[in-house]
Amino acid sequence: MSNLRGALACAISAALLCVAPAVETLAKDTGYLFVSNEKTNNVIVLEPKTLKVVKDMKVSRRPRDMHFNAEHTLLFVACGDDDVIDVIDVARLEVVKKIPTGASPETFAIDEKRRRIYVSNEEGSSLSVIDLDQGITIHEVPTGAEPEGVYIHEDGKSVYVTSEVGDLVHLVDPDAGAVLQDVVVGTRPRRFVATPDGKELWVTTELSGEVWIIDRAKFANAGKIEFLPPGMRKSDVTPVGIAMTKDGKTAFVTLGHASHVAFVDVATKKTVAYVLVGKRSWGITLSKDEKTLYVANGLGDDVTVVDVASRKAVTSVPVGRIPWGVVIDE
Amino acid sequence: MNSRFARRFVSALAFAACAAGARAQTPEAPRAAPAPLQLATVTIGYVELEGDVRYEPLKAFERLTLKLRGHPFPGAQVGIDDSTALRRSTGAEFKLERMSVKAPADLAGAVTRGMENGVSFFLVDAPAESFKALAAAVKGRDVLLFNISASEDFLRRDLCSREIVHAMPSRAQLMDGLVQTLVFKKWRDYLVLQGPSAEDEEATTAFLRSAKKFGARIADHKKFAPGTDPRQREKNNPALLSAINKDWDVTFVADSAFDFARDIAYRTVKARPLVGAIDLEPTAWHWTWEHNGAPQVNTRFAKHAPERKMESADWAAWISVKMIVQSALRTRPFDFRKQRDFILGPGTFDGDKGLAMSVRPWDHQLRQAVLLAAPYSVVASAPAEGFLHRLDVLDTLGDDEPETPCRMNR
Repeated sequence: MSNLRGALACAISAALLCVAPAVETLAKDTGYLFVSNEKTNNVIVLEPKTLKVVKDMKVSRRPRDMHFNAEHTLLFVACGDDDVIDVIDVARLEVVKKIPTGASPETFAIDEKRRRIYVSNEEGSSLSVIDLDQGITIHEVPTGAEPEGVYIHEDGKSVYVTSEVGDLVHLVDPDAGAVLQDVVVGTRPRRFVATPDGKELWVTTELSGEVWIIDRAKFANAGKIEFLPPGMRKSDVTPVGIAMTKDGKTAFVTLGHASHVAFVDVATKKTVAYVLVGKRSWGITLSKDEKTLYVANGLGDDVTVVDVASRKAVTSVPVGRIPWGVVIDE
Repeated sequence: MNSRFARRFVSALAFAACAAGARAQTPEAPRAAPAPLQLATVTIGYVELEGDVRYEPLKAFERLTLKLRGHPFPGAQVGIDDSTALRRSTGAEFKLERMSVKAPADLAGAVTRGMENGVSFFLVDAPAESFKALAAAVKGRDVLLFNISASEDFLRRDLCSREIVHAMPSRAQLMDGLVQTLVFKKWRDYLVLQGPSAEDEEATTAFLRSAKKFGARIADHKKFAPGTDPRQREKNNPALLSAINKDWDVTFVADSAFDFARDIAYRTVKARPLVGAIDLEPTAWHWTWEHNGAPQVNTRFAKHAPERKMESADWAAWISVKMIVQSALRTRPFDFRKQRDFILGPGTFDGDKGLAMSVRPWDHQLRQAVLLAAPYSVVASAPAEGFLHRLDVLDTLGDDEPETPCRMNR
């Protein structure tokens, strides 16, 4: 029995060895999906056509938000229980560096031009401003309790951060290291997407079950969108993840416990479809050709693949325990 | 000191430079912070009873402490900490004024004195018996008291005061949460073991009522008498207490003294789980709840009370402060009546238990999920799946509008 297992392990490592050089040449556009799993402390790499696991990567504890650098050679993964951001070499599929953060990093954004990472620290109630190259914290900006979503203004001079407990969106001056202004939104604001014209910032508010729209020039509320998939109760509608097409015409909002993704027409701010996905859907990403959506189902331990054109879930594939986010290298 | 000043000066300069920066054609974020706010100070009174027996450590005997307990004041402090980031938006700075009195009869006096000093919101951390005098003292006044530690149903049903909001779940809510969870598991037959205190009787009555409400059955209902007296063995021996001629699914224990409850597990005739006072307890909060941002609340609590875990009353104190702060945030400019109407009316609150909470107009009980806590994990949260309500599933727990004898707002 143990021999058999040993043989199997050999075969697997041999297979991996074979795969490794092939991957090396695909440093860019591997096309792979990366899924972070909060409870199993790993990032699962999937081949998106076959949905087969390419690699199960051990990372620091409680991996959550993930972002690529501009060239897609590196993948940054915020690991909440070890207070670090793990840096993965996308070609080698290995963790090559760990950047220390504040207490319990949850989500973050990278400013490539100014070489900075902005991280919201869930336990520390702060926004860390980290030097991307040196990996050292330049500023620690106090925020409302449980900060989450981070969005960097295109000019790099302002950063928007939500406070889940404060029901606020902060406007932070990262150079002064201070919050300049707040806007009050719905209950438990989570994550952002900006319209491509740069005029609006959309914020999911989990507990009030809405998306709030912020006029960026005025930094003021400019309306909100409510959701109610057929047959669901309002209290189950807990929007968290959000994505938008490059033309700014359609937004996709994961509705958490309501197990649906809402397709929203951005111009009219009306929901045009609800697509059934898995339990507690949070993380969402859109493929480059915008034909496919990938949704991480936190309490289903799987990722649902949604066909955008037909507005239907195609399949769901098991990953690790409590998948948080999903990104695609293309 | 000098260097700190210099640093501040430099960041002020950097900030001024940013503020003066030219506008790009893409919408630019507003750069300047508004002028420094004149912050109003909102004082929240915290009234408690010195030597409140409910917070004495639970002991097996003098040198064996089973559990530390404490006044829920640190929970209120977390609420105040959370409010500091909201100063700009509320225009207010929130403070707690802790008022400890020596006798239950002095509680009303403390509240009255607070009111004379302009305090309109009070957290009341007092045993249920003290509420009658409190309610009389504030009747018709512009004041709102938050009950943060008494679960007794008679406060909601009979006292039924307009000036009191119950942040702590009622016994009816807790027991409904427990029985829903059991019925969801198809565990419908119960052996009820009731302790000698009045509180045990109240808990048992609530449990029996919940069992009836959700179609469960009572296999037997016995009163126990802690002790070793052989003449009382039918009442103090768990094996004899559980030697009944019917099968049952779980044993419900009501034991506020937390004395006999510890002796029942593994000593009954049949291997049946314990619920109620021990093993699976219905609670407002538990330190192992790991959803809805709860771990972060527990961490913030630990800063104020590192010696113990956050419990139900701590949670109730925290959510009460949060409700007051939220009402200020959503109804600016600051005005007590607007705040009160928001809290008692359209206000929905995030209590880190999933579903949005609000105050029931008929008895001022805060709607909320109930956590079913085992010693090291929350087994379930109620409402359980499948228990539906035409308006709000949270109203499947506790006294719904047609059930309550309280006639408030009707």
